[in-house]
Amino acid sequence: MLAASWGSGIMNPACSARLGNMDSELDAAIKTSEMCSLCRCGCCKDECPMYAEMLEESISPKGRNVLFRALSQGLVCPDSRAVRIAYSCLLCKRDEISCSAGLKNAQATEAFRQYLVDHGIPMLPGHDVLVKSLENYRNPWQESKAARKRWAKEFQDRRVVPGKTKTLFYVGCTYALDRSLQESPRALARAMELFGEDFGMLLEQETCCGSTAKRMGHKRLFEKLREENEKSLREARVKTIVTACSGCFKTLKQDYPELDKEVQILHSTEYLASRIKDHRQELAPVKMKVTYHDPCHLGRYMKIYEAPREILRSIPGLKLVEMSSSRELSRCCGGGGGVKTAYPEISLAIAKTRLKEAEATGADALITACPFCVQSLRAAAEATGSKMEVLSLEVLVWRSLSQGGGQRN
Amino acid sequence: MIDRVLLEQIRAHLSNVLGERKVLWEKTDLLPYTKDTFRNPRGEDFRYWPDLVVLPETTAEVQAVVRAAAKHKIPLLPKGGGSNRTGMLVPIHGGIVIDTIRMNRVVEVSVPDLYVTVQPGITLKEVENHLAGYGLALNQEQGSFKVATVGGSISTAGFSRKHQKYGTISDRVMSLEVVLADGSVLRTGPKVLYTSTGYRLPQLFIGAEGTLGVITEATLRVEPLPEAKAVVLGFYDDFWAANEAAQRTMATSVTFVGGEAYELLDGGAWGAPPGKNGVFYVALEGTKGEVEAQVAFMRKIINETGGVLASEEDALRLFGKYTEQWCGARARPEIDNCFTTVVPMEKLKEYYDRLWNDVMAKRGVLHVPGVKLWLDVGRYRLAGGRYFIPQGEEGWTEYQKAARGQAELATSLGGSISGCHGVGLEHRDYLDLEYSEVALDVMRSIKKALDPDNIMNPGKMIPARKRNHH
Repeated sequence: MLAASWGSGIMNPACSARLGNMDSELDAAIKTSEMCSLCRCGCCKDECPMYAEMLEESISPKGRNVLFRALSQGLVCPDSRAVRIAYSCLLCKRDEISCSAGLKNAQATEAFRQYLVDHGIPMLPGHDVLVKSLENYRNPWQESKAARKRWAKEFQDRRVVPGKTKTLFYVGCTYALDRSLQESPRALARAMELFGEDFGMLLEQETCCGSTAKRMGHKRLFEKLREENEKSLREARVKTIVTACSGCFKTLKQDYPELDKEVQILHSTEYLASRIKDHRQELAPVKMKVTYHDPCHLGRYMKIYEAPREILRSIPGLKLVEMSSSRELSRCCGGGGGVKTAYPEISLAIAKTRLKEAEATGADALITACPFCVQSLRAAAEATGSKMEVLSLEVLVWRSLSQGGGQRN
Repeated sequence: MIDRVLLEQIRAHLSNVLGERKVLWEKTDLLPYTKDTFRNPRGEDFRYWPDLVVLPETTAEVQAVVRAAAKHKIPLLPKGGGSNRTGMLVPIHGGIVIDTIRMNRVVEVSVPDLYVTVQPGITLKEVENHLAGYGLALNQEQGSFKVATVGGSISTAGFSRKHQKYGTISDRVMSLEVVLADGSVLRTGPKVLYTSTGYRLPQLFIGAEGTLGVITEATLRVEPLPEAKAVVLGFYDDFWAANEAAQRTMATSVTFVGGEAYELLDGGAWGAPPGKNGVFYVALEGTKGEVEAQVAFMRKIINETGGVLASEEDALRLFGKYTEQWCGARARPEIDNCFTTVVPMEKLKEYYDRLWNDVMAKRGVLHVPGVKLWLDVGRYRLAGGRYFIPQGEEGWTEYQKAARGQAELATSLGGSISGCHGVGLEHRDYLDLEYSEVALDVMRSIKKALDPDNIMNPGKMIPARKRNHH
């Protein structure tokens, strides 16, 4: 009979990357990995979009936890296979809904990535470009700072006046710089004007919230970006910050420990839901059947499920139908966690699966509230020749407003 | 030690035949295959490693792997969802894990003949979702429903809480395709539920724990989705009061889908009146009129046995807890284990009294609060519970003795050691409490006939032969 060739869990002498100094996030990740290793039930695989696509035990929260535990014990090395496993996660948190132990797997995965980055493990192709761009241009998309105001030609007078302007529209890198998405910030800004909102923007002086850096494990870079961004946000001295990007929203609210206490931070869906209440008569009918995709950062992370639906229900003529998975059980679009950059084909396949779910509802349009979700789902629609229109909620709201109150304005 | 040169040869061969993407060999990739959910001594999580893992997608690919292994007598471990409790998937002799998770296709659905043919790596949940599109159901629901695969469930003789009406997976298998230890493909017979021709070959592989071959396709009996469903649930003073209602129900002719009686720690959160710490429920399915009548019948039983009827909403919430609580159940700092013994109903009280007051108590093994007494109501007589494994090396020894003591108790009362988690490593060495040496010898003969070189999941389930036995 053959014996196991790897012996009995003796530390590999060639691997010297035992965990060194730990911060609280790494510490928490190690505890998560310990608890998960004791259990190994694997329920996290159920409905995990990455697992479903790759069908490998390692490509699941359980797989990552078991790996991180072995790594923290020095049993395996942080080799390229480990990097692949660490970064094959959308950080969508769907698994956490199923785990009765409440393990914080997404947080543990971020810490795992941070550990790899801190140990100088080579980055995945594509991720290095994002990081360099963040370092040089303060956005992940290799665009100049000036490019941030390109979409806002009609709003040049909307520069925030510190201490005077009440509301800051924080656009975020992706909405500001992806030309195919710029209808969204425009729609929101126009709606804010229609509502008579006293709002301003930082335009080219806006800096990245750091979400991309944080999700990819570049904590030091994130801290640097957070400091800069927090400073400019504080200096604006506004009462409220509104953002349409679910990633920025989650980051500002959850990863900036103090900001939320000092200033009200609203996602555009919360903002629009509250304003539309007073402007119902200005909403013109939109005869459409739509379905709504919950962005992970807005839904599972921030638990905002009702506001976007409230908006959709308030548009006359619009019919909202739900997909087979929605709200906290919603399936990820494939655009999160750096997967789209490192593994574009897998990301696209996941987006196609989500699109299929939307198509099965018979809806004319798929509405969502995050630039990454719009990008991913649109790419899937284009790749499959789907008739499904993929729109951000802001654009849809403006369609209705511009036919109603906006037209009169 | 495995010959490294040979291992490299086999790896190259399999990579060539299956493709690189389907062969895992780097240590990092082998980690999830070091164990299942089996309780092992602390610090032994990564004690056993497989040499290779393969991820075949077809029967032909499984065949290629088995042939390569057979040639060099390399151990093979067929794997499903990986959620086994008893160590079936621990690679104690290294070897090649045949991970079937990519064999997850539905091959055929027959609406007129009410069966589904699937590859083994599809999960029970995925089968149900797929069948729902045809208005059909497999009706297999176990705690691990979201993870457990058809192949794993058959190999473990898994449980279903819908057994009273629909049986367990053991009752569902109509036909199997199995790659045997020499690489030949066995088709156990036509896709029919009843036949009086020949040995019942499919039965051989039910609960065989991968020791006789690799299941590569299964045809399972299905039913049309019911017109109506209901759950009737009553709160009782304690488990024993709930059990009385359960026993009374089992003595009537009402056809329930399944049911449970158990203790409830946080009853208030589930709508239980203060002081009511016992629960008894039954699930009902059928035509609308049938279910209405059954609901009325069950409500009467619950009223007559002193139960307080739960609202429909609370009943459904508690009913839904079943598969939810299984997920993450072992991710807690205190190490616990569970049992699924089968006990004659007349001995249930005696069993639990002796178990907790004597067998477990004298080893310092304490029950997990709220999971001391648990009965699956129906003909399978499953009595379960959970207990903490005492800490330290000594604690581990005491736990082992307690586990054996429990097996002695269950079998001495005419029951079985494991109602749905299989034998694996956990119960292997005292299986002779349940089976005579003659019975075990028959098992050994079957094993030898089908796997003469003992390469199929070696060291699992069947205990070593006692030396003085002739």
